[in-house]
Parts: sequence; structure tokens; C-alpha cells
Amino acid sequence: MKTGYAAKIAFNNIRKNYRFYIPHVLTGTGLQACFYIMLTLSMDKRLSQVKGGSVLPFFMTVGAAVMALLSVMLIFYTNSFLMKQRKREFGLYNVLGMEKRHIGRILFFETLYSAAASIILGLLLGVLFYKLCSLFICRLFQTDIVLGFYFIKANTLIPAAMSFIVLYFLTYIFNRISISRMKPVELLKSGASGEKEPRTKWIMLIAGIISLGAGYYQSLSIKDPLSALTWFFIAVFLVIIGTYFLFTAGSIFVLKALKKNSRFYYHAERMTAVSGLIYRMKQNAVGLASIAILATGVLIMISSTVSLYSGMQGTLDNTYAQHMYITADYVDENGETVLIPAEDMEGMIRNVSDKYSCKVLAVEEQEYFDAVYVMNGCDFELVSDQSASTDLSGLCDIYFITADMYEDLTGTRIALEDNEIAICRISSSIGHTKTPDKAVTIGGRGFIVKEHLVYFPISAGMGNVVTCYGAVLPNNEIMDAVFADQQIAYGKDASHYYHRTAVTFEDIETVSKNGDDIQESLYRNIADYALEHNARNGECSTRVDSVWEAKENILGMYGALLFLGILLGLVCIFATVLIIYYKQISEGYEDRERFQIMKKIGMSDAETRKTIRTQSLFIFFLPLIVAGIHTLFAFPILNRMMQLMMLSSTGLYIICSVITYIVFAIIYLLIYRATSKTYYKIVRL
Amino acid sequence: MEILNVNDIRKTYTSRFGAQQVQALKGVTFSVEKGEYVAIMGESGSGKTTLLNILAALDKPTGGKVILDGMELSGIKESELAVFRRNNLGFVFQEFNLLDTFSLKDNILLPLVLGGEMKLAEMTGRLNEIASRLGISEILNKYPYEVSGGQKQRAAVARALITDPKLILADEPTGALDSRSSSDLLQMFSQINRNGQTILMVTHSVDAASHAGRVLFIRDGVVFHQIYRGDCSNEQLYRKISDTLTLLRTGGDKQ
Ligand SMILES: Nc1ncnc2c1ncn2[C@@H]1O[C@H](COP(=O)(O)OP(=O)(O)OP(=O)(O)O)[C@@H](O)[C@H]1O
Ligand SMILES: [Mg+2]
Repeated sequence: MKTGYAAKIAFNNIRKNYRFYIPHVLTGTGLQACFYIMLTLSMDKRLSQVKGGSVLPFFMTVGAAVMALLSVMLIFYTNSFLMKQRKREFGLYNVLGMEKRHIGRILFFETLYSAAASIILGLLLGVLFYKLCSLFICRLFQTDIVLGFYFIKANTLIPAAMSFIVLYFLTYIFNRISISRMKPVELLKSGASGEKEPRTKWIMLIAGIISLGAGYYQSLSIKDPLSALTWFFIAVFLVIIGTYFLFTAGSIFVLKALKKNSRFYYHAERMTAVSGLIYRMKQNAVGLASIAILATGVLIMISSTVSLYSGMQGTLDNTYAQHMYITADYVDENGETVLIPAEDMEGMIRNVSDKYSCKVLAVEEQEYFDAVYVMNGCDFELVSDQSASTDLSGLCDIYFITADMYEDLTGTRIALEDNEIAICRISSSIGHTKTPDKAVTIGGRGFIVKEHLVYFPISAGMGNVVTCYGAVLPNNEIMDAVFADQQIAYGKDASHYYHRTAVTFEDIETVSKNGDDIQESLYRNIADYALEHNARNGECSTRVDSVWEAKENILGMYGALLFLGILLGLVCIFATVLIIYYKQISEGYEDRERFQIMKKIGMSDAETRKTIRTQSLFIFFLPLIVAGIHTLFAFPILNRMMQLMMLSSTGLYIICSVITYIVFAIIYLLIYRATSKTYYKIVRL
Repeated sequence: MEILNVNDIRKTYTSRFGAQQVQALKGVTFSVEKGEYVAIMGESGSGKTTLLNILAALDKPTGGKVILDGMELSGIKESELAVFRRNNLGFVFQEFNLLDTFSLKDNILLPLVLGGEMKLAEMTGRLNEIASRLGISEILNKYPYEVSGGQKQRAAVARALITDPKLILADEPTGALDSRSSSDLLQMFSQINRNGQTILMVTHSVDAASHAGRVLFIRDGVVFHQIYRGDCSNEQLYRKISDTLTLLRTGGDKQ
């Protein structure tokens, strides 16, 4: 056979099988485009120079890796589908006297055409949408658009194309092997012979139940956020296995039970629907389980990244009671560390703020320390070997201030006797025991709880995953005693006093714009101040912790996560579409004959449509419902992980999840409606 | 009593773009009495399947009338056709047309279940009665792929009989069977016919046709000739049919 002839046959084959080839090529195109975008984003130097963009290359590299994995899976999926449908045709060629290597040659051209179309279209789309994506990222990072993003980057264009060429070549090799193994007579017969009724797979059923149950149990039982992270992946794995097993074995089990019940079964619509479903489930269990898992993935990814991103402001407000904290000291000529006095500090701050015409609302001097205790009922105990306990749930962090300091900061006086204390629960990890309400011991010292405060003027640091308490102590002597207790217990790991100046601005928006300059200017002023006060070698140290800097950092991280969540979510939705589409058309071809027979036996078109609808709705809703249940059960563990990522608002997370679910359901419904049309066209009803 | 009256049925197939027209039936007229066993023969492409499809209301004639038990088929609404078919007609096809997703039992019960009026007990009663008559009681719970062609065809016959139809339409029911299964099936047809069942069977096989009470020959879209059994034995009818076929083939112009 001449090469040109094979090329021509291949072209005609693609045209004839357009129903299978178009989605195959579209899949390739979409994946190629996404992969190119990810790869380019991970290498784009300019993007990492965007404010907060330093984490981007890392996240995008992870994204590109995930995309590569998805690409391999999806391309092989569509390919296997294509091959299954076409094996009969190839068998016929073979029987008619075409050698297998000739078939291979035709196949080569078919792969070549579809690969070329996918890669070229994909790169074109990728280049077009890259610009859009980079603009989108700038929006997410809330920075001005950086001009001059490259439109085309040859250094990623080529590797992106090469990866896909290799991928397509692999599918070709794979198909060649499966053709060389095929026995034409069997192939010709395949599809014509009846199918066995599937057996109930008991082992799989039980394994599925156990695995799913274990996965759910993990999520429900994990108490502390740190281990949530590790257990999460185990839980995900268990749930995926459970889903596949239950879709495969559980569905058949239920349907067969329905069938056994004669009263239920021998009914005009149920009979055809149930027996049809048994066979559909046999063939589609894996596909449906994949849809359920992908859908869960989409739901979790999008809802968590969206809620992280949109909960950012709340997180910042929670952690930053004031806008900027400054701790500055210098070393005098005697080698003593000297703290800059509050008045001088305030002077400098106001000075700098005036220069940038930012109005300062309040400057406060804060003195406190915090120490870690193990909470045991009403006793907060100092346990020097904290690494011994891996369970974080008993740990808590207490911030101490004196009653004087409390009055300074809040303007309210709490009158405390020497053995009295006021406490405030600043934050809590889920599952934490309740706050002791009458008496407590702290490092062995007993106190009577005089008052429970709702507000504590010192905010706990960001990312504190343990429960945080604030405690107001009667006076300096007791404060020092408590401080000394923990110093003895923890030795060199003990914490020390913090002295910091907390600044609250009037208009944080404008301050943030000049944030870097203000900080810079403050550093310089403090250095000058140190020199004026004869610091040894001008040695001074200044630490500034500002809300705008923190925002920049988490904006970078959450923005990158959100972008990844959205892009990967879209790819997952795309994969879902693909599976549904292929499922529908393959079923269409199989069901056609069946419905024609039923018509002859006396089933009206309306009845047939009804049967089809019953079956389809079941198949349609099953993955969606399962995805919903999975998401529901994933909620506790995810919520705990969110805490680790500093999202404190559970309500926001719930809202995001619900909205994502609804949007997803609508998209799913639309896809389903569209693909159903093709199905009906094939069944010709 | 006349159960089926076919009057001047015409059927013209028009190709997709209207360029070519095939006149499959050019005016077929005949009638069938209740309890008759009629075979229809004719060369390939002579329009037998087309005729059967029209009788089954699966297809519409371009002209002419079909009256089944006093009801004109063209007068039945599209939406009621399925119910009409279910209640009045039984089909036996060349390729059995059993549903592979159902056991034989469910295949046979399907028309009754679709009807939706009968109690489960009555349905199974009928099923058992017919199954034992056709000798398939033992294999009712098997699936079509698990049984032989003859057994499949018997199940298909059972499915056709279970609704107690006015007319059984069979399109080459022995086409896919070996000679042993064929003769079993034909015996069965004769037997149910003796019990009063009206049968209309399309066949290529002279042997099959020789079981019938009357044989119609179709050529070029019209009923060209017919033979009555009269007092003939199967063998004598067989000879008559072969003679007629030879005559047809050599292009004789009888009637
Ligand atoms: N759907 C159709 N469209 C166009 N022409 C058709 C169609 N069905 C049948 N014909 C034509 O009508 C004529 C009669 O066909 P029919 O199937 O009735 O023949 P038959 O007697 O059943 O043949 P056989 O014994 O081979 O089954 C043939 O010429 C056939 O080509
Ligand atoms: Mg025919």
C-alpha cells in the first residue's frame, strides 16, 4: 500500500468518525493550551516580580505537573475510547485482506493528523489566552498591570509542543500494540454477542464500604489541624478507592436487589429501566465514579481557594488589631541593649507619617509575653518536652499583660486582687475543650477567674494553629513571676518580653500605597536616632510588622492558589464533559438496537423516551449526589486545614462551597442536556 | 370470519434526494380468515418484508388500506399504535430480536408488563403455560447469549404468543435455524395454528411454506399467484410449491 493512499484513507476515516474524533482533538487542544499556559507562567520572570508574585513560579510548576498528569490520563482515555469503537472497523479491514502493518500505517496518519491539529490549535489558543491569564493574575494580586508580558515565548512553546508530540506518539505505540494483538474474527463478532449479566462482587462491595467509611471517619475524627494535612491525603485516597469500588459493586448490588423484588420490578417503566441500568452500570461504573471524583475535586478546589482568597481581609483584620508594629533598640557604648523610649518612637512615627500625609489615629506602647502551656482541665501546665506530644489539641498559647497595660490599651480598668485573673479566648482550634470558668492554675500558680473578656488588645500572631488565650494579670510582680516560671521550665527555648509600638492609621488604603516608603523612612530615622544617641558602631535593630506587608504575602499565595484552583477546576469540568459525552454516544449506539426491538414489541416512542429519561436522570444525578456527599464529609477536615492557612471564617467557607456546588450543578446540567441531544440523534427518537 | 383485509397496498421508497424511486409494492390485495395459516413467498427484493412492516403498522403504505379485525390501520393515531401492536399483533423475527439485557423469562413477559394491566400472578401463569407448551420451562432464567438459536426462537415465539394476539406475523422465522430446529419450530406453528391461532409467515423455504394452509407468491410487488392446501399432505404441497417456484423463475406468466 502506498503511503499516499494510507494518508488518504486516514483522512476519510477521521471524517467518517467525526463524532469520536472531534472531542478527541478538542481535548488535545484544550490540554495543550492549558499546559502551555502553566509552563509559561512558571517560567515568566516578569510575573514573579509582581508584588507578592515570588511564590508564583513554585505554584505554577506544581500546576504544570498536575496538568501534565491530567493530560496523559485524558488523552489516553479518549484514545482508548476511540480505539474501542474502531476495532470492528479495523477487524473488517483485516479480514478483507489488509495487513496489520497497513492498518498501522493508516493509524499512524490518523494519529498524525489529530495530533497536529490538537498541538497547533492548542498552542494558538495557549498563546492567545496566556495574555489573558497574566492579566487575570495581576487582577488577583491586586497590582497594576505589568506591561510587556511576552506574547510568545519560544522557550516554552517548544517544550510544550514536544511533550505532547511524545504523548501522542505513545498513544500510537499503544494502539499499534493492541492492533497487533487483535484477532479479527473476535473483533468482528464483538458487540454482536450478548452480554453477561454482571455478578455482584462481594469482596469489592465490602472493601468499598470499608474504604469509604474509613475515609469519611478520618475527616470527621481529625481534631488538630497539623495532622489534618497528612491525613487528608490518606482520606482522599481511601475515598477515591471507595468510590470506584462502590460504583462498580454497590450499584449492581442495589439494582439486582430491586430486580429480585418482583412486585417492584415487573412494571412498565421500572423493568426496562432497572435492567438497562444494570448493564449501563457495568460498563459505566468507572466513568461515573471518575465523574463523581472529578466533580468533588472541582468543588473542593474552587470552594476552598475562593474562600481563602475572599476571606483574606477577614483573616488580616483578625490578626492585625493595629496596622503596624515596631520594635526598635540599639546598643549603647557600654554594650547594653537600649529600647528606644516610647515618646521618641512616637515622635518619629508621626514625623514620617506627616511626610506622607497619613493621619495617625493612635500610637500605643505594648508590653506582653506569650508562652505555651498544655491544657489539662483547668490547669495550664508547663511541659518542657513539647515534641513528645504530637497532638496539638491540648496545646495553647497564652498572651499575658498586666492590668495597667490593659487600661493603657483599652481605657478600662479591671480591678484584680493578687490571686485574680481575667481571661479571654482569642482563637480556638476545633474540638478544643471549653475555657475554664472559675479557677485556673497557670504553671502551678492558682488564680480565680474574675472576668471573661470578649476583647483582648494584643492580637495573636498569624498562623497560630493552637488555641490562644489572653490573660490579664494583677501587677508587674505576678507577671514577672509567671514569666520566670516559664523561663525555668523552657530554658533557652523560653519566650521573652515583647515591647512594641503599635500604630493605627486613619486611612489604611493610602498608607498601604506608600507602605514601603514609610517603612524605609522609619528605618532611616531610627538609624539616625541610634547614631545621635552614640550607639556603638551605629548598631541598632528595627523590626516592622505591617498589615500591608502581610497582605502582600498572603495575596501572593492565595492569588496563586485561586488561579490554580480555577484553571484546574476548569480542566476537571472539561474532563467531566468529555466522559459524559463519550458515555452518551457509546450508549446511544448500543441502545439503538434495543429500542428498535422494543418498538416492534409494542413500546411507544413516548414510553421509550420515558425509560431513557429515567435511566439518564439516575445516571446523571448519581455522580452529582455522590460529589455532594463527598464534599460534605470533606468539610470538617478541610475546615481544619483552612485554619492552618489562616482562614478563620467557617461561614464563608460554607457559603463558597454551596455556591460552587450550585454553579457546578448548573454547568453539569447544561452539558448533560447538550450531550443528550447527540444521544437522541443516534438513537433516532 | 375475515380477520385481515389487505386492499391494493402500494409502497414507493423515495431515495434521500428524491432522485430515485423504488416501487416495492404495486398493489397487493388479499385477505386472511381467522385461524388461517398463510405463507408468503417471493424472491429476494420482491417486497415481503415491506409488506409485513406495513401490516405491523411499523411503516406506512403510500396507498391502499389494511383492515385488521375491522379496524383500519391508517385510522389509528400515532400515539396509540404501540398499544395497538402490543394488543393485537405478535412478532417472530428472523434474528429473534430478543433483548440481551433480559433473561428469557423477562423477554417473554415484556409485552405484558408494558401493557401494565395484568397482575403478576396472571402473567406468570400464562408464562408457565406457554413455556411448557414450547418446551423452554427449564431455561427461562437464562440469558439469550446462553441458549441456542432454536431455543431463542422458541422464546421469541412465546413472547409473540403471550399477549394472545389476533395475528402472528413471522418474517423468515426459520432463516437462522438449522434443519432440526426449523422443523421443531414449524411443528410448533402448525400446532398453535390448530389451536386456532392465525399466522402470517414470510419465508424463503419451501419446506416452511409447505406447513401452511395457503401460500401466496409475490413478484414485482403484486400477489402473483396463490396455492391452497386443500386436502394435500405436506409433501404434496411441497411439490406444488416447488413447481410454482420453477415456473416463476423461468418467467412463466400464470394467473
Ligand atoms: N428503506 C428502504 N428504502 C428504499 N428502498 C427500500 C427500503 N427497504 C426496502 N427497499 C427496497 O424495496 C424492495 C423490497 O424490499 P424488501 O425488503 O421488502 O424485500 P424482501 O422481499 O423482504 O427481500 P428478502 O427476501 O431479501 O428479505 C427492494 O427493492 C428494496 O431494495
Ligand atoms: Mg426481507
